[in-house]
Amino acid sequence: MASLNMVQTIARTLDEEMTRDERVVIMGEDVGKRGGVFLATENLFDKYGPDRVIDSPLSEAAIIGAAVGMAVHGLRPVAEIQFADYVYPGFDQLVSQAAKLRYRSGAQFSAPMVVRMPTGGGVKGGHHHSQNPETHFVHTPGLKVVYPSTPYDSKGLLKTAIRDEDPVVFMEPKRLYRAFKEEVPEEDYTIPLGEAVIRREGSDLVMISYGGTMTETLKAADALKEQGISAEVIDLRSLLPWDEQRVLESVARKGRVVLISEAPRTANFISEVAATISEEILDTLEAPPMRVTGFDTPYPYAQDREYLPGVNRILKAVQQVIDY
Amino acid sequence: MSVKSATMLKTTYREAVREAIRDAMRRDDRVFLMGEDVGKYGGCYAVSLGLLEEFGPERIRDTPLSEAAFVGAGIGAALGGMRPIVEVMTVNFSLLALDQIVNTAATILHMSGGQFNVPLVIRMATGAGRQLAAQHSHSLEGWYAHIPGIKVLAPATLEDARGMLWAAIEDPDPVLIFEHAMLYGQEGELAEDVAAVDIDKAVIRRAGSDVSLITYGGTFYKTMQAAAELAKDGIEAEVIDLRSLRPLDNGTILDSVRRTHRAVIIDEGWRSGSLAAEVSARITEGAFYELDAPVARVCSAEVPMPYAKHLEEAAIPQLPGIVAAAREVLGTHV
Repeated sequence: MASLNMVQTIARTLDEEMTRDERVVIMGEDVGKRGGVFLATENLFDKYGPDRVIDSPLSEAAIIGAAVGMAVHGLRPVAEIQFADYVYPGFDQLVSQAAKLRYRSGAQFSAPMVVRMPTGGGVKGGHHHSQNPETHFVHTPGLKVVYPSTPYDSKGLLKTAIRDEDPVVFMEPKRLYRAFKEEVPEEDYTIPLGEAVIRREGSDLVMISYGGTMTETLKAADALKEQGISAEVIDLRSLLPWDEQRVLESVARKGRVVLISEAPRTANFISEVAATISEEILDTLEAPPMRVTGFDTPYPYAQDREYLPGVNRILKAVQQVIDY
Repeated sequence: MSVKSATMLKTTYREAVREAIRDAMRRDDRVFLMGEDVGKYGGCYAVSLGLLEEFGPERIRDTPLSEAAFVGAGIGAALGGMRPIVEVMTVNFSLLALDQIVNTAATILHMSGGQFNVPLVIRMATGAGRQLAAQHSHSLEGWYAHIPGIKVLAPATLEDARGMLWAAIEDPDPVLIFEHAMLYGQEGELAEDVAAVDIDKAVIRRAGSDVSLITYGGTFYKTMQAAAELAKDGIEAEVIDLRSLRPLDNGTILDSVRRTHRAVIIDEGWRSGSLAAEVSARITEGAFYELDAPVARVCSAEVPMPYAKHLEEAAIPQLPGIVAAAREVLGTHV
C-alpha cells in the first residue's frame, strides 16, 4: 500500500502497464521530457525512452490519428490530450475513425487505445481549460467513457481501459489530481467498466454523480446526515456504458433522486440518466429526478467555483425532491 | 409566417433553401455563401445551383476541403462585419471544424466581455436514408444543442426552410441550421411573398388531446404519418415540431404534455445522451404530476450508420416504431 493522490496513481499505473506489456506506448504534447503538464507521465521518458514515450507536435488530430494507426497495427497506445478542451481538433479521428473502425471493417480491425484527458473546471483555467465534453463521447456508439473520482479507482479503471479491445476515453477530473491521497494497493487490480459504486449507504434518497463533482456530492451527504437525512451516494465511474441496473435498483427503493454533473445543463449526459430513470421506474418515484449541473454558458473565468454544482445547490435540489 | 398574398408557388425544400439564400444575398451586400463545391458544382445537394452565375465568385465561394479553415474564415468574416453563410457538406464533416465552432464561434462574445458578436450562419446536411454509411449519415444535432453560445435550428417544413435563414442571419450570434438530407426533395407550396419566421418557438403542427408526439427535422413527416395512422383508431395525437433545438421551447412542450398527459419523443440521433433525453428530463421535471405514463423515446439504434439499405432502415426511427411507442404510452397508467 502507498498513500497516493490521483495524478501520482495515474503515473504509477502507466508505469506498471508499460512494464507489463511492451505494446503500451504513450504519446501526447509534453508527455516525454516534461513528464506531462500535470506530471501524469513523470519519469516515464527516462525509464522507457523516446520510442515508447513520444512527445508529439501540437496537433490533436495527429495524436489521436496516429494512435488509431498504432492500435490497428498491434500496439496499445495511451494518448494524452493535454486538456479535454483541446480534443475538438482531434474529434473527427476519435468519432469518425476510432469509434467506427471495428464496425466499418466488419470486425477485421479494432482500435484498442486509450485517450486520457484532464477534464473539468475549478482550476481557474477559463473556458478553454475547464470544459466537460463527456456528453459528446457518451453520444458516440463505439467508444467507452470512463470518469473516475478517486486514486484507487483511477488505477483499476485505467488498467481495464488499457487492456480493453476498443477505444476508451479516460477523463480525469483535474481539480482532484492533488486534492487528496488514499491508500492504493501496489498489486495489480482492475475495475470493470460500466460498474458504479455506492460511496455512502442511505435510505431517504439517492444522489448520483461522477468525476470532479463527487467531492461536493459527498460533502452534501455529510451535511444532510447532520440534519438527520440519510442519502445514498452513487459514483457512476463509467458513463458509457453506465450502470443502469445499480441506479434503477437504488432509485426504485428510495423514490427520490438528485443527479449532479458539472457539464452545461442542456443535453448533458446526466439528462440521459434522468430520462432513463423516468422511463423505467416512473411509478416508484415520489418526485421527479432533479438535476444539478453547470450552467448553459461558456465556462467562466471569474466565477470559476460558482459555475460548479456546489454543496448549497445540491442541498437545495435535495430539499426540492424531499418536499415535492 | 405571415402570408400576404394568395399566390402560391409549387416548390421543393431544396428550392426553398436556395430561394432563402438568394433573397438574403439580394437584401444585404454583406451576405455571402462559402463551402465545398457550393459554386461551380452547385452544392453537394444542389442547393446553390445557379447562384454562382447570379452573384459571382466573390459572393459564392468554393473553398478547399478544410472545414476548420472555412468555418474559421467564416468566423473572421463575421467579426469583420460580413454576414457569412457557411455550408458544411454534412454534419459528420463538421467534426473537423468542431474546435472552431465550440471554442471560437460559441465563445468570442463571452471571452471578449461582450465586445464582439459572431453573426455567422452555418448550414449543414444531416441524417440518414441515402445509404451513405457511417461517415455521412449521422444526426448530431443533439451534440450541438449541448453547446452554450450557439443557436441550433432544424427546419422540417418548406416554410421554415425558406423563412429561418433570414432570421438566422439577423441574429447577432452564431446559428447552426440542420437540413435533413431526405427533406431536400420534399414538395409543397409556398406563398410567393413569404416573410421570415421566428426561430425561438416550437410549433404544434397537428392538434390532439391524447398524446404529444415531439419531434424535429428528418423525423417530422414520419411523425405526422404516425399521427394520421393513430387517428384511424380514434387516437388524437398532437405533433410538436421543435424547430429550435437550442434554445428549447419549454413552454410549448410543457403546455402540450399538461393537456395530453403522455409524450413520445422522436429523434433520429442516437439514444444515449440524446436531445430526446433532455426533452424527456425537462418534461418529467416540469410536469411530473400531470404525466399518466413515462415519457417514451424513439431514437436511432446505437450503432454507426449501416450501409446496407435494410439495415439503415432498421437503424433509424420508422413509422411502425413511432406508432407502437405511442400505443404503448397510451396503454400505460401510473
